Amino acid sequence: MRLSFNELRWLKRAALDSNRPLESLVQRRINREPLQYIIGTQPFGALDLRVRSPVLIPRPETEDWVIRLAEHLCSSYSSRPISLLDLGTGSGCIPLLLCHLCPNIVATGIDISPNAVQLANENATLCGVPHSRYKASLCDFAHPGFPKAEAINPPYDILTSNPPYITSDEYLQLSDDVANFEDPTALIGGYDGLEFYRLIARLIARDGFLSPEAVVALEVGHSQADAVCDMLNPTGFRTSIWMDPWGKKRTVIAQRR
Amino acid sequence: MASPEDIDRLRQLKESEPLQEAWDHWTSTLKAYEDMETLLSDPDPAMKALASEEAAELDQKLLTILKSTFPSLLIPHSTTANLSALVELKSGVGGTESSLFLETLLRMYMRFSQSNSWKPTVVANNENEGGGIKDAIVEIKGTGAYDTLRRESGVHRVQRVPATESGGRVHTSTVTIIVLPLVEEQDAQKESLYTMDEIKLEVMRARGAGGQHVNKTESAVRITHIPTGITVSMQDERSQHQNKRRAFQVLSARLMDRKITREIAERRAKKNSLIKSADRSEKIRTYNYAQERVTDHRIGLSIMNLSAVIEGNALQDFTDALKQDFEETTMEEMLESEL
Repeated sequence: MRLSFNELRWLKRAALDSNRPLESLVQRRINREPLQYIIGTQPFGALDLRVRSPVLIPRPETEDWVIRLAEHLCSSYSSRPISLLDLGTGSGCIPLLLCHLCPNIVATGIDISPNAVQLANENATLCGVPHSRYKASLCDFAHPGFPKAEAINPPYDILTSNPPYITSDEYLQLSDDVANFEDPTALIGGYDGLEFYRLIARLIARDGFLSPEAVVALEVGHSQADAVCDMLNPTGFRTSIWMDPWGKKRTVIAQRR
Repeated sequence: MASPEDIDRLRQLKESEPLQEAWDHWTSTLKAYEDMETLLSDPDPAMKALASEEAAELDQKLLTILKSTFPSLLIPHSTTANLSALVELKSGVGGTESSLFLETLLRMYMRFSQSNSWKPTVVANNENEGGGIKDAIVEIKGTGAYDTLRRESGVHRVQRVPATESGGRVHTSTVTIIVLPLVEEQDAQKESLYTMDEIKLEVMRARGAGGQHVNKTESAVRITHIPTGITVSMQDERSQHQNKRRAFQVLSARLMDRKITREIAERRAKKNSLIKSADRSEKIRTYNYAQERVTDHRIGLSIMNLSAVIEGNALQDFTDALKQDFEETTMEEMLESEL
């Protein structure tokens, strides 16, 4: 593979900062390991998050819609505390950046991966977000008893998620840097990639799970936005779609009618 | 708690400190001189000689205060005195040789900044395939960085035998330096340099499916300020957000630079000033390796120690001399307009 000037420069800096030999970092990159895992961090908005295999690396598309969501939330809520639940929190990138940008958000993140829960809590500490404002817990939102789980405290004002949305077929086509290093459970959303949106649609339709004026923000795959809107509309939510900077329908925003 | 008025007053007080300092210096020196005068007629010849020596020294000091310290206080306080700088370096004629020299100049400005206790950060660095750097942007954070460096803007010329030249011929290559005033994000809004509807933002790469499907490491952005046609591309940072932030920082600096330039031109036009504004295509300095000489063509100053200049230390001699020249010119201009 061909290393770009930029990647080489970033690796040089990482080698210098962490006192590791550059050759070994370059060798790891040649073995297709994601640059972010080698360096150990990924900037996300104003935050610098720790990343570690196999927890999903925050993507620029996610960064873009989270910043936009923060602007939306900051203008529509006043100063009262807002509660947020992030499903499949991964590195914690979504709730942590929202906490950073909106001082009145109090967030809970859940994930089925102990690696993710551990990393998300480390990131909260690194970003200076106290436990009272964000805490990640081990919890499975596909479990039937989920809404009664100890970590869950409805109603929530905001629900965010970047659930696994890659179809089983597409998963086999992914390049090595994604497939060999990132957790498949953070990527594969069943045969049609929509499995977790069905679960989320059922969840938000439950009485008392979300507050009356709740906002739901879900990242979706490049061709899934319309299908996800169709799932959410019957639950009494009005949906809109946000494009990402590369022209893909990336985020479904749902608010009660 | 300090109110905004208090802060204004504090600033005014701080800015008037040099006046008090100069006056104190003048009165104490004058007092010392007067004390010495009585000793000039001392009967002891040794004492008398000592006194006259001392008196001559004090006389010189008084003259310096009168001739340079006091006049320099008349120079209007620089409105850009607090600003940090953004230094753009662009290779000019000479191909790879120009890029190699650009790398040397970049190091010079980095070292010079460190020795002035400013914080330099390379924010863009476009390497040249054959060696050296094609173009670069350095952010230099610190009070006075812009005012000290702004007269570095212009064409810097290097004369030497390139390492790649087998015939031993001396080549002349150039690098263009542009020093811009760095405005912080919140100040940029206060200055209302642009509005968001004047901005076109483009992301450089198509990403296929994007999202979870791919892991692209680069997030280049390009912004265009439609009214002026200024475009800024940024790809050196690892996130889209950071690249965008940097791009807006460079855009603000360029717009601020235009604004300052325009204001100076308007002021000069009002006074019918004949002093021409600095022209960025003008050759301002030559670095001659064979003669170990660096010459600034605007003030005719040569420093016969090229190594000391490019190591960053002796650059101070140029910036000091240029500042003095600027102040003298400003004074002349002020006197002329009085007539």
